[in-house]
Amino acid sequence: MRGGATIEILKPGVQATVQDYPGRPGMLRQGFFPSGAMDFFALRAGNLLVGNPQNAAGLEVTLGGFSARFETDATMAICGAPAETTLDGEPVALWESRRAPAGSELTIAISPGPGFRCYVAVSGGIDVPQLFGSRATYTMGGLGGFEGRALRAGDRLPLGPAGENGQPRRFNETARPHYDREWEVEAMRGPQATPDFLTDADMQQFFGRSWKVDRNSDRTGVRLESHRFEYARDTGGVAGGHPSNILDNPYPVGAININGDLPVLLGPDGPTAGGFIVAATVVHAALWKVGQLRPVGDHVRFREVTIEEAAAAEQELETRLSENSLEPA
Amino acid sequence: MSGVSSPVLLQLEPRGGHPAVTYRQAGDRAVLVEYGEMEMDLTLNFFVLAVDTAVSTEAPDGVIETAPGFRSMLVRYDPLKLSTSDLLTHLSKVHEGIPAQQEIEIPSRMITLPIAFDESQSRAAVERYVRSIRKDAPNCEGANNIDYIVRYNGFSDREEFYEAVLATDHWTGFIGFFPGLPFMFPIDPRHTVVVPKYNPTRTWTAEGAVGLGGPCYAIYPVESAGGYQLFGRSLPVYDLQARNEVFREHPLLLRPGDRVTFERVSEEELLSTWEDARADRYRYRIEEQPFDVGAYLELREKVRDEAEKWRQRREEAAANTPVP
Repeated sequence: MRGGATIEILKPGVQATVQDYPGRPGMLRQGFFPSGAMDFFALRAGNLLVGNPQNAAGLEVTLGGFSARFETDATMAICGAPAETTLDGEPVALWESRRAPAGSELTIAISPGPGFRCYVAVSGGIDVPQLFGSRATYTMGGLGGFEGRALRAGDRLPLGPAGENGQPRRFNETARPHYDREWEVEAMRGPQATPDFLTDADMQQFFGRSWKVDRNSDRTGVRLESHRFEYARDTGGVAGGHPSNILDNPYPVGAININGDLPVLLGPDGPTAGGFIVAATVVHAALWKVGQLRPVGDHVRFREVTIEEAAAAEQELETRLSENSLEPA
Repeated sequence: MSGVSSPVLLQLEPRGGHPAVTYRQAGDRAVLVEYGEMEMDLTLNFFVLAVDTAVSTEAPDGVIETAPGFRSMLVRYDPLKLSTSDLLTHLSKVHEGIPAQQEIEIPSRMITLPIAFDESQSRAAVERYVRSIRKDAPNCEGANNIDYIVRYNGFSDREEFYEAVLATDHWTGFIGFFPGLPFMFPIDPRHTVVVPKYNPTRTWTAEGAVGLGGPCYAIYPVESAGGYQLFGRSLPVYDLQARNEVFREHPLLLRPGDRVTFERVSEEELLSTWEDARADRYRYRIEEQPFDVGAYLELREKVRDEAEKWRQRREEAAANTPVP
């Protein structure tokens, strides 16, 4: 036990938050999307490396420009978007665990990409109080994480009791995800991807073209670029004049709704319901990629998959996120 | 490349007094169940709420959660524990067990909330949108959304629109978007107001702002993005810190089945009530009052012609109004 063990934030960068996985599912009916790590693959890999349970909370660092000081001996691992990372000035390899002695300082430079977020996993996990079963931060609702907000310089985060710290380990390169500037994201046709809302040509366009990631993207949603769909209807009728309008309905996590003429991929802090048609839904096994889409510069294509292919991808993801992917560093 | 497949899993005709059902695949972990046609028929929502209660009381293994919409319900499930076809079979059985509409009495509360029309926070949100997102939005002409609502519905002036908001109770069909946001619908069809949503959406809305999108009213629970046309402001409807006693048991003020009636106040009065609410001096006005669906159906029948006339007038105006 390390009573009172903490890590102090020196520089949070663009946005750093406490996140876990799977966040806070089960609250859709009250208007809460689950929150949690946007790239849950990287956070879960980090937790594996430092010997944490996979639902332990870590830090989600957006873009980089981050530094923090360990106020106790700990094991840590950084996974996610590549960035120059040092511990007391010494280079640190990503996707590897190592000891961080008390007093040591971790810095993560701005990531040149590809990718947009990296995750700091620390043995024992970030031990902020659980709220509705999770430690994930949901800034929009002002809850969870550390005081319900993004981290600031001077915040001191409690660490949980660490298990036994083993030898430094590495997440096998073949098991690591591939980051790119041109992403391919697996998705299924959305609930309204039917001829009464969107034409065949619309859906061919949707799956056929490459979409630019807009600068106005964050944890609530990744905006793509405006596109004039043909639409099967002239108007949304009673739901509103625009043919993308429907009577408000619940959205699944990963939904890509057509917001007027703008497709938006709903992130983990996104809206649980609304009145726009959903053209496609990113399958669960591919959702982590959304956390690595870099606003300005990145492009994304959606590849249509069946529910069987989604299940196979899910199984493959779980296999990769296991002890079998770890090797001594 | 996979074969093209329709997201519609199954469609059932209306039967036994129950609406038609469409099951739509919503990703690899959810099914969207849709009832009836896309029309502003509150009885569809009564049916949704009855089904939602039945499914959540006795959820089969593998059902993770349900979330009601206006005429739909999202069912999240674990496909490894429960196959999609077994889920559909279960839901169809639940539908059969729902009693006929006339016999339903829905637990409900009547909540009276103050509203200030055309106040500075809504205007600020519109101004910000025009400045930073879209200059030529027809719904933002004159730096407010109210004139657009008036024009789109053929009201003679703003007052006639305000009257419509005040003249009827509003039915909370479901909660969603962000924590605690009520999606509300006028109970008296003679006072239905409809308006298109923003295109594209706003990035900022004040807490407590009241908006209209399609036929649906909302009170924004937190500062957030939004797509509804703004016309006023009410009180906080979500407070995790429970600064008012009404939030002590639960951080959300409203739940599905609640009715809201608005009472007009000036912006000055609203701001002072807002302060009182935050300081726990104001008491939210809430009365338990179960909702009798049978009586509602009678009212709806009685005003049918009048409502239909209003609808025609409204749609004529809409046809001559540009859409954002």
